[in-house]
Amino acid sequence: MLSRIADSLFWLARYIERAEYTARLLDVNFHMLLEQTQQTELLRWNPLIVMAGEHERYGHMYDEVTAKNVFEFLAFREDNPSSIVQCVSKARENARTIRDRISREMWEDINGLYHIVNQFNPADEISTGPHRFCTEVKVGSHRFHGVTEATLPHDEGWEFLRVGWSLERAEMTARLVDGQGQTPVEQHPVPAADNYQWMAVLKSVGAFEAYHRQYHSSIEPEKVAEMLILNPLHPRSIRFSMNEVQSSLRGISGSGPVNYANEAERLTGKVLERLRYDTIGEIFDRGLHAYLKELMVMANEIGEAIARNYFYYEVVA
Amino acid sequence: MSANPAHSLVPGLFSGYDCGGFYDEMFASPGIPRPHYLKLFQSLAAMSPAQFEERRKLADLSFLLQGITFTVYNDGRGTERLFPFDLIPRILPWREWDHVNRGLSQRVVALNLFLKDVYGPQKILKDRRIPRHLVYSCRNFRREMIGVDVPLGIYTHICGIDLVRDSKTGELCVLEDNARTPSGVSYVLENRLVMTRTLPDAFQEYQVQPVGHYPAELARILRSLSPRGGQEGSIVLLTPGIFNSAYFEHSFLAQQMGIELVEGRDLIVDGGVVYMKTIRGLSRVDVIYRRVDDEFLDSLSFRADSMLSVPGLMAAYRAGNVALANAVGNGVADDKAIYAFVPEFIRYYLGEEPVLRSVETFLCSRPDDLRYVLEHLPELVVKATGESGGYGMLIGPRADKARIEEFRQCIQADPRNYIAQPVVPLSRVPSYDQNTGAMGGRHVDLRPYCLYDGDKVTIVPGGLTRVALQRGSLVVNSSQGGGSKDTWVLFGES
Repeated sequence: MLSRIADSLFWLARYIERAEYTARLLDVNFHMLLEQTQQTELLRWNPLIVMAGEHERYGHMYDEVTAKNVFEFLAFREDNPSSIVQCVSKARENARTIRDRISREMWEDINGLYHIVNQFNPADEISTGPHRFCTEVKVGSHRFHGVTEATLPHDEGWEFLRVGWSLERAEMTARLVDGQGQTPVEQHPVPAADNYQWMAVLKSVGAFEAYHRQYHSSIEPEKVAEMLILNPLHPRSIRFSMNEVQSSLRGISGSGPVNYANEAERLTGKVLERLRYDTIGEIFDRGLHAYLKELMVMANEIGEAIARNYFYYEVVA
Repeated sequence: MSANPAHSLVPGLFSGYDCGGFYDEMFASPGIPRPHYLKLFQSLAAMSPAQFEERRKLADLSFLLQGITFTVYNDGRGTERLFPFDLIPRILPWREWDHVNRGLSQRVVALNLFLKDVYGPQKILKDRRIPRHLVYSCRNFRREMIGVDVPLGIYTHICGIDLVRDSKTGELCVLEDNARTPSGVSYVLENRLVMTRTLPDAFQEYQVQPVGHYPAELARILRSLSPRGGQEGSIVLLTPGIFNSAYFEHSFLAQQMGIELVEGRDLIVDGGVVYMKTIRGLSRVDVIYRRVDDEFLDSLSFRADSMLSVPGLMAAYRAGNVALANAVGNGVADDKAIYAFVPEFIRYYLGEEPVLRSVETFLCSRPDDLRYVLEHLPELVVKATGESGGYGMLIGPRADKARIEEFRQCIQADPRNYIAQPVVPLSRVPSYDQNTGAMGGRHVDLRPYCLYDGDKVTIVPGGLTRVALQRGSLVVNSSQGGGSKDTWVLFGES
């Protein structure tokens, strides 16, 4: 497989995943936060921008943090490279450069999603709220996964897609938990509000019901964090996602469970060791923020190592 | 009351249809369809305009969802557009197609012999059958190719030859040759697919020759060129990339043939051998179906500023380590001034008379022709010899004074770079006009795609019928607002 094509598959999957994540974040938080009228707009909406990892850019573009601005910024802004519309657009561009390598159904699906999100009129949606728009994006992403699963041979190209979306998922979940953890509790005038926001975190990743089945308890920050960081089976936990990354990287290189074939595999193995044996108590003792920050840095390093090993290696000619 | 049964059927879609003094592919005379169009006409006659509109929307949606688009450049940012598809097919009965097929085969073989000669012994120049200066002054003549042995002696693996029907004679004649990187064949295949989905009822009334074997035939020819022998060859399609107007076609053909679609940056030349960069290191490439123009192929040989280039590619090609299709330097054969000599090539190399007529052509490099052209600019079509895609063209009768003067100065400054032809009144096919909700006659040409394996020429029946969708327009190029139609070659006469 051409390096360029592997690169495009990797990014195609990442962009779709990022679009879905941002849509989930917006959809859940937007409606939940609307209820919390006792807080200032800034306090309510700021975490959302932090979770999307675009705090700085937002500051350059807007003077005020308001529901409408945040929605516009995360969903529609063309000059925000992480906005949903931009992610879908870039996913389509990547798909277009490799449309001979993906199935016709995959291409038509991504192309269809692109036309759908571009048919929305930002002004209308901003007044009616993000639900309709976000639902389209989520469903579009699910369709993409389904069509890919069902029509693309599960060869190395498929593994690059899987590395892409899993790595993106690990990073986004880390950012999501971190964004929530960073909102200081003492800023909340009502104690229950904190749990509201952790509930929103769970709902954003579709883990609300699973949480209750597992813990039979009310929403507690430690348990939510445990579920999203360390749970081996929930598809959006960091550990699960990293496990997927490892299994795909091994699928590509053909290396077995006892050794590693390249730097990306070594780093992934190292992250996974921690996720397997750390307890949530230890993590909170050391500080949640620092821990997640480290995970994000390592996820980033894994991405770079993959690129160096498979996409942009030096050719000695 | 009309005595003609067909006439009494004339329904909403065709009400007020006017052949306008042109050869109409569907109607022999107003209201009377030609025999091979009768069944289609009746099928459309049974349809209300609303029903037709519904089918048309279905076809458009199908193209949009598949992302079958092309890019236009002259609006400054390269916008993606749908290539308009008109539902009314262009139908050719077998006997006429057979004639065209023979004429095109003859022409392709002659063009190939010319290229082999002009980059080899140059007998035709020594025999003074074409002026040496005309060949050497051609912008696309590549001196680097002189003396190069190309695989199997084939230059013109793929040719797109544009035909038009002259309304005055009713005869199909050759308007120009495209022997470099002709595009459009993917639309032939996609149009057929959409056609059978959208008008299955009408399609079933006919026995239409299939077109789907094109990619397989092209792949067979490409495989035969491998310097390492048929089984071992690794074939790739080299594209300029996603911003090229024909990008859809490049990816489409690569996918259909099951070959790798590569860009210049994916390839690397080492020790005179071409490799592609894969996730597992370098992998040898034997045959390149290149859709990149000569001058962008190799920055060491041609344009140093090319971003698409594979440095060292020409050296590998000359060493015989990689095959290119089409060959480098083919532009000398499809130059619009050289065009005037193709009938001579056929006589010189094959000892035959041309089966298909060419359009009368004035070479501005000839003083007499130049004088005539300058005196008759408002009546003529002027074309820059090295251009393609409908760029660099003047249609005298449609141009204003300023534009004519602009061309006059260009021609005087560089006569070699221009030719002129009388305006050919192109034939028309009824096409749906969204503004009026009815059929209107629109001018068409036809580009068949000819594949040459050194032994025989294979032509997928029909080709791309391009249609000037704007009322009265004669320019069919997609970059200039043209659309396309499905082309049906019948197994019989109707």
